[in-house]
Amino acid sequence: MPTKFRGVMQSPVTPFKDDFSLDLPTFERLLDFHVRTGATAISWPHHKGESLNLTIAERKLFAEAAVRVVNGRIPVTIHVSALAVEDTMELARHAQEIGADGILAITPYFWTPSIEAIHGYFVRLCRSIELPVLSYNSPSYLAGVEITGDLISRLIEQLPNFVGVKEASFNSEKFLEISRAALALRPDFAMLTGVEYLLPSVPLGGVGSYSAAGSICPNLCAQLFDACVSGDWPLARELQYKISWLWLLFRDQYPSSLKGGMVMMGRPVGPTRAPLPTATAERQAFIRSELERLGILETEPHGW
Amino acid sequence: MPLYRPGLLHTPVTPFTRERAIDFDRYAKVIEFHLANGAEGLALPMHAGESVSLSDGERRALVEFAIKHVNGRKPVIAHVSETGTAIAAALARHAEEQGATAIVATTPYYWTPPAAMVLEHFVQIGLAVKIPFFLYNAPEEMQGAKVNAELCLELITKLPNFAGVIDLSLDWQFMIELMTNGPRLRPGFQLLAGTELMVSAAAIGATGMLAPLAGIAPRLVRELYDLCRDQKLFEARKVQEQIAGLRQALKPGGVASLKAAMRAMGRDCGEPRPPVLALDAAAYQKLVGELETVTALHAEARDW
Repeated sequence: MPTKFRGVMQSPVTPFKDDFSLDLPTFERLLDFHVRTGATAISWPHHKGESLNLTIAERKLFAEAAVRVVNGRIPVTIHVSALAVEDTMELARHAQEIGADGILAITPYFWTPSIEAIHGYFVRLCRSIELPVLSYNSPSYLAGVEITGDLISRLIEQLPNFVGVKEASFNSEKFLEISRAALALRPDFAMLTGVEYLLPSVPLGGVGSYSAAGSICPNLCAQLFDACVSGDWPLARELQYKISWLWLLFRDQYPSSLKGGMVMMGRPVGPTRAPLPTATAERQAFIRSELERLGILETEPHGW
Repeated sequence: MPLYRPGLLHTPVTPFTRERAIDFDRYAKVIEFHLANGAEGLALPMHAGESVSLSDGERRALVEFAIKHVNGRKPVIAHVSETGTAIAAALARHAEEQGATAIVATTPYYWTPPAAMVLEHFVQIGLAVKIPFFLYNAPEEMQGAKVNAELCLELITKLPNFAGVIDLSLDWQFMIELMTNGPRLRPGFQLLAGTELMVSAAAIGATGMLAPLAGIAPRLVRELYDLCRDQKLFEARKVQEQIAGLRQALKPGGVASLKAAMRAMGRDCGEPRPPVLALDAAAYQKLVGELETVTALHAEARDW
């Protein structure tokens, strides 16, 4: 059976009021916006959703809102990565209780764990729930801690609910190392990338990505995915260049500038929690000028 | 300057005698093998050709020999990377005088100069010649100074003969940023894959490839290159996965494994120079066993 985690999946930002408290009504609007504009799944809270700036209680509250608002229209996965592994375990159990469709978990933070420790972590996590589990490889943000091809093979052999990876090294060799190991053992294993790096991954067996810019340009996301799966490489290149330019704008202090850009698209979601900065008016104006230059203001939806 | 498109560049190993001298007779055989087995040009001596283990005089002699021996049948690109900028620039001038078609250089060895001086290093090497200059971006091999897209774009504005980047970063973010802007600043600006992981690079816009594995598996290399050149990227996945497996088997041992594999394929080029140690008997047997599992190698020549 082909994986249900495919296409361009949206991970909403977390809207805050001016006092930095959670803004539930705006979150609900944002979830609905993503579903209406072509998201193939919702996943929350990624780092883009400021996961690590939220309390565990807040994460549970909005996870419940996500499942409720999406209401089965597309799959919802919960990102359960937390500083303390025990919190991750609790968030995973919670995700299962509230009816989420799966969870996503990165290799543990801070400790630079060994491969054996990472293996033990995923085994424990996967066996604690029945939901599908997606792993998340991000070596450049985690001091080189990464998932290897051998590790993927072992996990697939041991764990029936270990179903995919968000491969965010953005590196040809790493992607191939994991995809070769995974797809040989589990052909429907979901090879996903972070951001919207579809052009370099789809020819190698990639089936989708998470999205950085989907709250700005959902049409572009869908067009890029269609161009890649249909093998229209000249068009896919043009679209990939465009969406990757947005990533360069948003990457630094992510998701500050992204939230700034959303103001310019008529979808304000409030500030970014410290220690991340909130995009200044000047930064917002610069983002607007780039969105204008790229033609995004005219081709993408404005407002909710 | 007429546009030079390198296409598929083989990167020959440098054979040594038992006394550790360059074995020029054997080198002639190596060159003939590459020319007869799909090379559209030769890049030498790359790191796979143990450039850093050759004296200045030997590097010059090697380039002179290769250009004379090839005798215009295919282009020869000289690798001129060095620690000192002036030393590298002198190698570049020498290569041009001898008739090299282009030069290639990476960041300085050992030093970690500030970005402005890394730029200056490349500017002085490039300005030393009129033939095309290719920058070799190999962050995993080069521990010191780093290259980013910004530096490459600035180099375009400073060097009329800066023709493109040979990428061994395998980094999708870098390649996409480079190709979004490079060809705008300089029509015909090229991206070449720095090793036989070309599918993602070709999706992004790479038009050439360096092939350190061409001495071992020239048919496989050629098949991958042709499919990528023709933008048959889905069709290229299988051969890409096979070649990734071959690369993975050879990578830990570096040039020692490369030379061991040359011997296993019936094309003995001696041992690497110190300080690189040759594989011991057990490691050699293990490698031979791993090569046996790469089924695509069964179709490759087992002699000269």
